[in-house]
Amino acid sequence: MDRWILFTAVLLAAAAALHGARYLSRGERSRWTVLWMLGSFACQFIVLGLRSELRGSCPLGDMGEMFIFASWALTMCYLAVGSVFRLSLLGVFTAPLVCFLLSMALVPGMLESNPPNANHIDGWRESHAAFSVLAYGALGLAAVAAVMFLVLDQQLKEGDFARGLFRNLPPVKELGLVVRRLLWLGLFLLTLGVISGLVMKVSGDSQSRHLFAAAGQWVAYLLLLFISAWRGLPLKRFAIATVILFFCSLLIFALL
Amino acid sequence: MGLNHEAAPVQVREHFAVETDEQGVRAKEIIALSTIAESVVISTCNRMEVYVAAEQADRGIEYLTAYLAKNRDQERMNYLYTKSGEDVKRHLFKLVSGLDSMVLGETEIFGQVKQAYKQALEAGATKGVLNKLFQKSFAVGKRVRTHTRIQMGQTSVGNVAVDLAEKIFGKLKGSEVMVIGAGETSRLVAKSMMSRGASGLTVTNRTMSKAEDLAAELDGTAVPFDQWENVLSRVDIIVSSTGSSEPVLKAAQIQAVRRKRKYRPLFIIDIAVPRDIEAAVSEIDEVYLYDIDKLQHLAEEAKESRQHQVRLCEKIIEQEL
Repeated sequence: MDRWILFTAVLLAAAAALHGARYLSRGERSRWTVLWMLGSFACQFIVLGLRSELRGSCPLGDMGEMFIFASWALTMCYLAVGSVFRLSLLGVFTAPLVCFLLSMALVPGMLESNPPNANHIDGWRESHAAFSVLAYGALGLAAVAAVMFLVLDQQLKEGDFARGLFRNLPPVKELGLVVRRLLWLGLFLLTLGVISGLVMKVSGDSQSRHLFAAAGQWVAYLLLLFISAWRGLPLKRFAIATVILFFCSLLIFALL
Repeated sequence: MGLNHEAAPVQVREHFAVETDEQGVRAKEIIALSTIAESVVISTCNRMEVYVAAEQADRGIEYLTAYLAKNRDQERMNYLYTKSGEDVKRHLFKLVSGLDSMVLGETEIFGQVKQAYKQALEAGATKGVLNKLFQKSFAVGKRVRTHTRIQMGQTSVGNVAVDLAEKIFGKLKGSEVMVIGAGETSRLVAKSMMSRGASGLTVTNRTMSKAEDLAAELDGTAVPFDQWENVLSRVDIIVSSTGSSEPVLKAAQIQAVRRKRKYRPLFIIDIAVPRDIEAAVSEIDEVYLYDIDKLQHLAEEAKESRQHQVRLCEKIIEQEL
């Protein structure tokens, strides 16, 4: 049942991506993008609810659940940020990443069919996992906005404005501001995740490595924001660093 | 019957102008004329037009001409154009779509026509024929704007530059502009920037008096030509147009102030030929450099795109007729 709903979530995100891209190629924006994403968000929410019922705890027990939770956090941030900053175009860029994350969850072996029911819940462990994945949502959206900036920057440098995408992208300054704010939000959530992780009971080397990696990620993001605020950093390098850091984070946790 | 910016100069148009809130009153006066059953008067800064539905077209034109000729000499009356039948529909559809405007595709005319019609309707000057015509024209105007991009794309160098500036900075409020050289094109570009909200202007020129004149015109500050580099760290937009045969702004000068600027985006418009800005400046990450060729090319592309959009609009209008 949860897999079918998850599959529906993937289809809805894919519809948002394709539909949005089609409209964009014509130089128009579609109101349907946000509706498709809303639908996908609802399905993701249901899947997470079903998984938490199965586990009797926060649904972050296997890689599949982590991907779904990250995707849910990313979609939630988009729905919140997009309307506040009037960046509805963010959906066209976010949808493919959401689609990818959810598809990863569908890969055989990612989602345990019969996860063990938790007989003991470590609140700090649950908090660490939840805050960390929420942080991924914000940091992922920052990476998406950074990609939007890089696309716009390339078009401005080359003077290539023929495509509809250029007309619809928000200004450079606005994108820079959004990336910064999302990174600060992500860092704040990650701080809560790391603190929870430090307090939780750690058993086994892999969990220690995992915590070490989370702390390392936290330091990397903090350095990026500190350098940008104190010394200044060209937006292009800031955006590239944002994207690289996010993908490194995804890779590290996939490998661990 | 009426006149517009293409048919008549402003000295003639102003004699026919009707106050915005008097349009309904005039429409009501016109329907008191014999044979004229309905009327709408539209008066903007670029046109004055009277739309009527008459029982007999020829007599209607005659009475309307006599009405408009009151206190006006024949020379001014010669500027008026008259349309009837399908031509009226076509003209009105083009008008609300922005195809007859001074700035092609502008959207203000739609609201102005709506207001004029509303006044005539409230004054009881319209009935079946004009009600149907105007309602249809509003639907056509909406369809044209939804299915074409007639209102997009600036076609002058000054406006292209401002559009690019807004693509980089968003609203220009709070942006600082520096003009190097006080030529006419620089002046127009700087004026466009200031009109869109740029809040600070610094002008520099080899001849200080010219810099001061331009600064005074645009409410800015003039600085001597040997001191403009000091301003480099705080400006967001530079417009350069000197007569120099060598670059006046080099990459090394920008590199020297990058950290002080905290790597903020910098938009540079080089209108000069030979170019004032060293080509290597465009390699700097946060700098967006546009020379006159690039800007003119963009303006031309916009014109071509506009022509294509005009053809699309005309196609839609013919379908609706």
